[in-house]
Amino acid sequence: MTSKKSAVTGKAIRRRSVLAGGAAVAAAVPLRFAAGQGKTLKIGLNVPRSGIQANFGQDSVRGVELALEVLAGKGYPKVEIVHVDNETKVDVGRAQAEKLIDQGCTMIIGCYDSGITSAVAQVCEQKSIPLVVNVAAAPQITDGRFKTVFRNFPTGPMIASDAFLLQKEVYEIAGKAPKSAVMLHANDTFGTSQKDASVRLIGNFGMPYKFEDVISYDPATRDLSAEVRKAKATNAELVWIITRLNDAIMIVQEMVKQRWVPMGIVSTGPGPYDDPFLKQLGKLSDDIINMVPWFDPNKAMSKAMIAAWSKKFPDRTLNTSVSHSFEATLIALDAYKRAGTSEPAKLIEALRKTNIADNVTVGPAITFDDKGQNTKTRNSAIQNRGGKLVSVAPKQAAVTKPIWPMRAWNARG
Amino acid sequence: MNDLTPFGRAALLAFAALLLAVPWIASGYVLSVSIICLYLAYMGQAWNLMLGFAGLLSIGHALFVGLGAYTSGYLFTKLGVPPAVGVVAAVAVAMAMGSIIGYLGFRFAIGGVYFALLTIAFSEFVRILLDHAKFLGGTEGMFLPVSQESRRGVDLVNLRGSTEMYYYVILALAAGAFLMCRALLNGRVGYYWRAIRDNPEAAEAVGVDIFRFRMYAVLLSSGMAGVAGVFYAFYYNNLFPEQVLGIERSIEVTLAPIVGGVGTLFGPIFGAFILTPMGELLTEAVEGFKQSGLIAKNVKTDGVKLMFWGLAVALIVLLKPKGLWPWVCERLRLVKPPGQRG
Repeated sequence: MTSKKSAVTGKAIRRRSVLAGGAAVAAAVPLRFAAGQGKTLKIGLNVPRSGIQANFGQDSVRGVELALEVLAGKGYPKVEIVHVDNETKVDVGRAQAEKLIDQGCTMIIGCYDSGITSAVAQVCEQKSIPLVVNVAAAPQITDGRFKTVFRNFPTGPMIASDAFLLQKEVYEIAGKAPKSAVMLHANDTFGTSQKDASVRLIGNFGMPYKFEDVISYDPATRDLSAEVRKAKATNAELVWIITRLNDAIMIVQEMVKQRWVPMGIVSTGPGPYDDPFLKQLGKLSDDIINMVPWFDPNKAMSKAMIAAWSKKFPDRTLNTSVSHSFEATLIALDAYKRAGTSEPAKLIEALRKTNIADNVTVGPAITFDDKGQNTKTRNSAIQNRGGKLVSVAPKQAAVTKPIWPMRAWNARG
Repeated sequence: MNDLTPFGRAALLAFAALLLAVPWIASGYVLSVSIICLYLAYMGQAWNLMLGFAGLLSIGHALFVGLGAYTSGYLFTKLGVPPAVGVVAAVAVAMAMGSIIGYLGFRFAIGGVYFALLTIAFSEFVRILLDHAKFLGGTEGMFLPVSQESRRGVDLVNLRGSTEMYYYVILALAAGAFLMCRALLNGRVGYYWRAIRDNPEAAEAVGVDIFRFRMYAVLLSSGMAGVAGVFYAFYYNNLFPEQVLGIERSIEVTLAPIVGGVGTLFGPIFGAFILTPMGELLTEAVEGFKQSGLIAKNVKTDGVKLMFWGLAVALIVLLKPKGLWPWVCERLRLVKPPGQRG
């Protein structure tokens, strides 16, 4: 028998001991989880809790937990949520979906990112497990490839189209429309795709303006003075920004510095509705209009969601990730309630017949077409007002009229 | 096999048998994690071929994976070319890019860290290019068609089938890469590469064409990565430039060889099978501690796996700079001492 003295303990390390140790570790790893369909529905929540999209994933978790609290008081059945972190990676997201199914989850909610959602949808399809998408906009997810996917989030083209429709509504209410526009967009994946869709679709909506210039920039830049100066030189009345957070702050700061007050600023990206933007810019953050998938604050369920959110997270703003994860949970629990079982086939059947009028997002009752897409869900135009976000369009989801044109930087009380 | 001790031989056979049996004994999750391990083992070997054998540091290997993935994906979706044929084009495109980088690097004597920067620059350049390449889906991604029927059975020509089929495909690739690297390392090319790695001036002085043999290393490595790209495209069925070519993808490829042992044959495989499962086990353990109350439930533990990876790499660089595999080999006497080898 081969043995060697350990430098640390002085005891003999034997191959047999190493093998025994290895076997003990191996025994601790469950090779096959007990896949079960117990009485209580186990829902797997597959979102990015770390990685580049971690903050959105964390908000998604908050949305799901909030929904469980609110819906428990409204007669919805209890469920168990199993959390996994897809790390904002396609391969990890796919493996974690397998893990959830192995652990007995018969429904999955996720996955924030379109690529990950698509990979997880394949696993769900193979295993005949329903996937309720909370946030993901790629149209291919509900193009008919998957029979077990249900999405309440608008597709990319729906978001882009709605941005024009909502603007027209805002201009009509305000009685003033811009005649020229300039776009400033981050040249990352999100910014470029949003820019492409907007530039491509503008001709379809008879907008009162055309783009004088489309200016791209690196979202990691530390200075946007040249880009803002270039945009200002166009004399455009409308500034359309597609940003992340820091660049959104820099653009507004530069506009203030360069004393540029256009008719208004609209945004179709994150940043201007994020807490740090509102807090750092204070009253300078006011009057910007964001066109995003949002909730309808006039609906009864939304009021319950807002009340619970304000109590639980008084310092945080309720955003898209929260509201759409809340609603994904509502859809899941509603299907479970009607199916009366955690059996996936019956849950899928129930999801197909979804018809929820008492919901939170903008639009009529939640229903899915034969491809699993809610084609009737709409976006909102939300305006920054004194550190709060208020809905100004569409009409049925508005709580007040828009301030348009925007006020001068030094005329904000 | 001749270099292995009887115990080493038995361990290798047991490992091979375990790998072959995984789809029969493991759950879907373990199977998926095993696929990730094997993918990283395969890619680790491709990367190791450049740094470990020929002394060329690349931090842009995701570039070659991306080119292979997009080439085969485009040929399949737009022209109906099956991946069994498309792989040839994927390898050709990846090797063409490798030859451009290699030529620029070696002709203009860009070495060491500067060569690594060159690989990053090309990787980022192609990623941004793909962001704007509408015919490849651009930022909105390329989605490969996949039907319910295609997820059953085995269709190797179209690389369509069950998860088990993908497992055996990547297992075959990883095993093939190992055998190829072994043959290369023990052949004339391997000796030239090591000579160039250890002392390029001396190698050149004794007549080794260092430009040619460095180019061989880059071409082989990029070609191998191109094949991995085909696997990636058809396994995940969607491609986004940031997901496939992001800098973190290139860094991820380097971790397994660093942990296992740069320049060793089995190190990249060993590293991949240490890092990934350990990361998963750690996540499980932390969740378990939270459930049992050992860690408060409101303590945020997300990303613990990534922290572990960072810590593991730092510790290995500090304590075992040659990697874990040589140390394990010595401790368990898996390989015969140099004097006793045949």
